[in-house]
Amino acid sequence: MRRQEDKKASEKDKPDLKGTFVSVMLLGIFIIITWVGAFALFVSR
Amino acid sequence: MHLHKYEKIWLLFGIGSLVVFLFVVGYGAFWQGTHPQSHGVTIDPNNIESNEAFKPENLGLTKVDEDEYIINIAASAFYYDLGKDEEGNSVRTIRIPKGSKVLWQAATKDVIHGFHVAGTNVNMMVEPGYVSSLETIMDNPGTYTIVCNEYCGIGHHMMYATVEVYE
Repeated sequence: MRRQEDKKASEKDKPDLKGTFVSVMLLGIFIIITWVGAFALFVSR
Repeated sequence: MHLHKYEKIWLLFGIGSLVVFLFVVGYGAFWQGTHPQSHGVTIDPNNIESNEAFKPENLGLTKVDEDEYIINIAASAFYYDLGKDEEGNSVRTIRIPKGSKVLWQAATKDVIHGFHVAGTNVNMMVEPGYVSSLETIMDNPGTYTIVCNEYCGIGHHMMYATVEVYE
């Protein structure tokens, strides 16, 4: 019983980073798309 | 050190992107010869004619080989000197066949000018005291305007010429 409570408590302490993760990935994808776009323009001209 | 699972993912993603980016840039720089347009080649801005390439008779288009050309440009406020044609008129349009390898060389007699063949990668800053050069293959036919894209004074907007890449 004690153990289970401990486990629950430690899970609660973990920060919820789901929103941060999604926004960081969206930003990363945006940067990659713009970079690839500019690079493709450079290569094709 | 404890890292959150998500942190590990985005660190990996970030470092991975950096490696790819540096590889692409390094490949361009060391294998493909991509570099800044001024190579540190100096010239006397008060006497650019002292350099063989910028003697009045060498300005404009010169055919070096089959499909290989050199274009020398003397920039000054507010004019690109592309040499003279057979009748002695100033050249305003340069015609080159599609797929030609072109070495562009530009120098300025006065202030900083730009040299941009709009719509292509030929885009250089032309600084007093330096020769700017860039080699490209003109693969896309069309008519391109050469514009000065560094503000050089009151007639800046009148500083232009034309390049025609024909099939």
